[in-house]
Amino acid sequence: MNTGPSLDALLRRLLDTPPDFLDPPRQNGGGQVHVAAVVNDVLASHGAQPSPALLSTLGGELRGVSTQQLTLSAVTAWLLADEAWRRWPLPGDALLALFADAVPALAAEAPASRYVLEPERREELVRTTVARLGLQPDGETAAQAADRLASVSGVERRRLLQASRAAEARARAIREALARKAAEESADKWTRE
Amino acid sequence: MDARVNAGPDAEPDDAERYPTLGEAGRAMLQRMREHPCAPLFRNASGNRLLAAEVEELRAYERAIAAARFAWSPDCPPPWLDAFVARTVAQVPHYRAQAGGASADVGFADIRFADIVPVDRGDLAADIARFVPDDVALERMINFRTTGTTGHPLVLPSHPRVAARYLAFHKRALARLGIVLRHGAGQMGVMLLGMQQRCFTYVSVTPTMGESGLAKINLHPADWRHPDDRARYIDAMAPEVIAGDPISFATLLELPLAHRPRALLSVSMALSPALRERLQQRFGCPVLDIYSMNEAGPLAVYDETLGGHLLLQPGMYVEILDAAGQPSPAGQDGEIVLTGGFNFCLPLLRYRSGDRGRLVVTDEGPMIVGLQGRRPVRYLTATGQWINNIDLSHALARLPLSRYSVHQYADAGVVLRLAASEAGHAAEAAALLQAALLGRPVAVAVLDAEDKVLQYTTELEEGLAA
Repeated sequence: MNTGPSLDALLRRLLDTPPDFLDPPRQNGGGQVHVAAVVNDVLASHGAQPSPALLSTLGGELRGVSTQQLTLSAVTAWLLADEAWRRWPLPGDALLALFADAVPALAAEAPASRYVLEPERREELVRTTVARLGLQPDGETAAQAADRLASVSGVERRRLLQASRAAEARARAIREALARKAAEESADKWTRE
Repeated sequence: MDARVNAGPDAEPDDAERYPTLGEAGRAMLQRMREHPCAPLFRNASGNRLLAAEVEELRAYERAIAAARFAWSPDCPPPWLDAFVARTVAQVPHYRAQAGGASADVGFADIRFADIVPVDRGDLAADIARFVPDDVALERMINFRTTGTTGHPLVLPSHPRVAARYLAFHKRALARLGIVLRHGAGQMGVMLLGMQQRCFTYVSVTPTMGESGLAKINLHPADWRHPDDRARYIDAMAPEVIAGDPISFATLLELPLAHRPRALLSVSMALSPALRERLQQRFGCPVLDIYSMNEAGPLAVYDETLGGHLLLQPGMYVEILDAAGQPSPAGQDGEIVLTGGFNFCLPLLRYRSGDRGRLVVTDEGPMIVGLQGRRPVRYLTATGQWINNIDLSHALARLPLSRYSVHQYADAGVVLRLAASEAGHAAEAAALLQAALLGRPVAVAVLDAEDKVLQYTTELEEGLAA
C-alpha cells in the first residue's frame, strides 16, 4: 500500500463539515441536499465518472436507500474534496466502490451525524476511506493502519471475517479440486520431471 | 465433441474426458499401443483432456513460442515484469498478504519487485492453495505430484492446456538442431520412459500432432510379460522422440533396440557427459538435456558448444540470488530464482528453485552456466540390486515428513536423517526404507534444521554412475 494523507488533516476536515451537509437529503420530493450532484462533482474532480447505478442510488428516488446512506455519502464527498488528496491519483473504481459498498455498510451501523460528531466514528470513516482507496495514513505502516482500522470499525471487522471465510472457502475448493480423481490422473506432457 | 464433466469428486474419469477430441486415427492408435502383443502392463489412465478450441489455441501458442525472443538480460528486467507483478500481487493470496492486502476488494498499490520476499518449495508445500490466483477456474484443474530433491513433497496445480504447452518448448529446443517433428496419424510421437519399481504408466494421443501416439512406459521388468518385450515394443511402436531420465536411459542402453528415434529428451536429473555421449553414439540422434521442473516446465536445454543450459521460456525471468536473497553480482554463481512462466494456475514470483548456476548472455538469449542440483543417485539394496532414489521417495511418501535425507556410506550402510520435530516417525520411516532396500538395515539420525538438505547422497561410486 502507498502512503496517503495524514490522519490529522482528514479528521480536521471532518470536524469542519459544514452543517448544511447534515441537512436532510433530497428524497422522495423533500429535503435539501442534492447528494447525487455533490458526489458527482467530487468524483469528477478526481477524474472519475459515477456509474448510472450509483447516480440512481444517490438520486433520492429509490425506496431501499436510507436517509443515513445519502447523508453519509454527502459527508464522504466533503471529506474527499480536501486538498490533502490532491497529491495522490485516486483510482476511479476504488472511488465508486467506496460509495457503493463501504458507505452503505457504515450508514447501516450508525447515523451519519455520528461520523462527524463522535471522535471514534470520525476515525472510522477516515480510516475506511483511506484504506478503500488503497492508501495508508501518513506515518503508519500498512500493518498498523490495518490493525487500527479493525480496532475502531465493527464494519471492518465483519468485512475481514467475511474475507477470511471467503479465502478459506476458496482454499478448501482448491484442495478439493486438486484431490479429485480426474486431477490425480493429470494430463499429457511430452516429458515428465 | 465436448468433454463430459464428471459431477462427483471421486467419479472415475472416462475416455470422453481423457480424449475429448478423439477421432478415428486416435482411437486406432490407442488400440494399437494397448493391444500390441509385446505391450507392457499399463497400470494407469490419463489423457490430453484438450477441448477442440484449445487444440487450435495450442497450435498458435507453439508458433508464438517458436518465434519469441528474450526481452531481458541479467542487467535489464523484462518489460512485462511490472504488469506481471501487479497482476500476481492482486490475484494471489500469498503475495497479496505480503503487499498488505487482506482481500481482493481492498486496493493495494505498488510493491517493488525487489521487495518481494522469495518463496521456496517449503512455502508451496505448506499451503499450495495460497499460490493459486483468485481468477483461476477450478473445474478442470489437474495436479502434478513431485518429490523433488529438497525433501518437500508437493502437489502442484496445473491445467491440460498448461501440460500441453510443454511441447512448444520441446519444439523450440529441437528447432535449434534443425529437427521439426513430423509424426502424425498412425505413428508414435513420443514414448516416455521410467525405470522404477512403481511408475505411472498409460497411453494417450497428441491432438496437435494428428493424434500421434504417446505412451508412458516403465522399463522395470515387473511391468512386462517378458523382459525382451521391452525392446520389441519400442521397436514396433517406433517413437519419433523418446523422453526419460538418466536412469531410464541407462537401462535403455542395455536393451537390444533396433529403432532409431530422431531425438532423446532427458529431464529430471543431470545427464552426465559420458552418458549423453553413449546415448548419442548408440542411437545416432541428438540427446537434449533439458533442465525442467514441475513448478516451471522446461526451462533450458544444454548446448555443448555454448557450454551451458540455454533458456527456453522468454516469458520466464531468471535471477541469480545469493544466500541472503540479494542479486548475485553479474556472472557470479547463486541460486536460480524464477518469475513468470506459462502455468496460469501457479504464476511464479521470485521462486527459489533450489538449483544453482550463473547467468551469461548469448546471441540466442540468457544461458545458465554451471547448473547444479539434480544429480541422480542410486542405492545398493541388501540383495545387490540398484534402486533409484525415486523409489525411496515413494517409500516415504506416506509419512508427513517436511524434509529428510538419505545417505549411503562406502560400506553400503544407510542412514536416514529426519528433522528432530519428526523423530516420532523414525521407526516407521526406517522400516519403510529397509523394505524398499530389500532388507538393508537403516540407521536414523537427526537432521540439523540449519542444514541445506542435499536429499540423496552416496559414497558408492556406482551410485552416481547413471
